[in-house]
Amino acid sequence: MRPCFAFAAAAVLLACTPGVAQSEDSAHPDLSGYWGAPIRNEPMPADLRAKLPPNTAILTDTGAAEYPRGEYGGLIPTAKAKAKADAWKPEDEMTLARVCMPQGVIYDEQGPFPMEIEQAPGLIVIRYEYFDQVRLIHTDGRPHLPANAPHTKMGDSIGHWEGNTLVVDTDHLEPSTITNNGLDHSDNIHLIERYRLGPDGKHLQASQWFTDPEMIANNGARYIEWNKQPGHYIQPYECDPSLATEYQGVKTGAAN
Amino acid sequence: MSSKHLLALAAALAAVPTAAQAHHSFAAFFDPDKSVTVTGTVTEFRFTNPHGMIALDVKKPDGSIEKWRAETNAPVILVERGWTRDVIKPGDVVTIEGWPSRDGRNYLRLRDMKDAKGKRIGSAPFEPKAQS
Repeated sequence: MRPCFAFAAAAVLLACTPGVAQSEDSAHPDLSGYWGAPIRNEPMPADLRAKLPPNTAILTDTGAAEYPRGEYGGLIPTAKAKAKADAWKPEDEMTLARVCMPQGVIYDEQGPFPMEIEQAPGLIVIRYEYFDQVRLIHTDGRPHLPANAPHTKMGDSIGHWEGNTLVVDTDHLEPSTITNNGLDHSDNIHLIERYRLGPDGKHLQASQWFTDPEMIANNGARYIEWNKQPGHYIQPYECDPSLATEYQGVKTGAAN
Repeated sequence: MSSKHLLALAAALAAVPTAAQAHHSFAAFFDPDKSVTVTGTVTEFRFTNPHGMIALDVKKPDGSIEKWRAETNAPVILVERGWTRDVIKPGDVVTIEGWPSRDGRNYLRLRDMKDAKGKRIGSAPFEPKAQS
C-alpha cells in the first residue's frame, strides 16, 4: 500500500470508528501518566475555590486521614442520611461480605492510592490502583446515559475542556460512602470535577464538588493533588478478603 | 500581624473541621492508647491488600512457642516507607511494636518493626492517623 493511500484509509477508518470522535484533544494539556497517591490534605487554590457554588463545605480528609464518627467536615446530613450514619458500625466494614467491596469514585479518588491516566481523542481512562477500578471519561461530546441506565461505583462521566482545565460531569453513581464514617450518598448524587496540571507540570490538581439533596442539605467539595512519577505503574490491588477472618468474633471497642 | 488578627486567625482555625483520625475499623478492633512489643521469628509475610500480615513465632521464657500475627498497612503505604515484598522473610528475627487487639489475643496492628540488630525496617514508624 502506498503511504498516501494508507494515510487516507486510516483517516477514513478513524472517522468511521464508533465512539472515537475527531476532537481537539491533542491541543489540550496531556494529563496522562502515573500519578502518585495523595497522602495528605492540601488547601484548595483560591481560583478553584472561587468556582465552587455557594453553600459548599470543603472537606479536609484527602489522603489517609478521616473524620471522627459524627463529624462530616461541614457537610449537613439530611435526617435520612443522619439516621443511616448513626446506625453505622465500623466493624461491619471488616466482614467477609464487605472487606473487599469497592467504594464509589467520590471517596476512592481522594484516598492514599495512585492512579494512571490514559488520554486519547474523545476518551480519557483513569485506572485507580484502589480496588483495581477503571473509569471512562468521554470527551467526544456525547450526552449522559439515559436515566434508566445502570448506576455504578464509577458512574457515567463526560468531560470537556475549559482552557487548560478538564471539567468532568458524573452521574449514574450508585450509593456509596462520602466520608467512610457512615455518611453515604444516594444514587442521585451529581459530581463535578476540575482537573489541571500544576504550574510545574509535575502535579495534577483537582477539585471535586458534589450535590445530593437527598442526603446532604448543603454541598460538598474536596481538593486533591497527585504528583507525577514517571516510570511508575499502578500495581494490581487484588483485595484478599481472607483478612476479614482475623476479625470474626472479635469483641470490638467503643472508641470509634 | 496584630494580636486581634492572631486571635481571629486562631478562632478561624479552631472552626475548621480537621480530619486527622485513623480509619474507623482500626479504632474498633485495636486499642490506640496501648502498646505491645513482641520479638520472634517470621514464619510468613503477606504483602497484600487491603492490609498486609506478618506471622511470628515468639519463644516464651519456658521455651514454648506462642503464635502472633501482626497486621500492617496497605502495601501502597508500606512502599512509601521503604518496604518491599522481601523486606523480611521467613526465618528472620524481628521485633514488632504496635497497638494490641482489643480482645486480648495475640494479634496487633504494626506501628514499628526492627531487625535482629535493632535497625528499623522502613524509613519511619506508621503513625496512628495513617491506620486504615
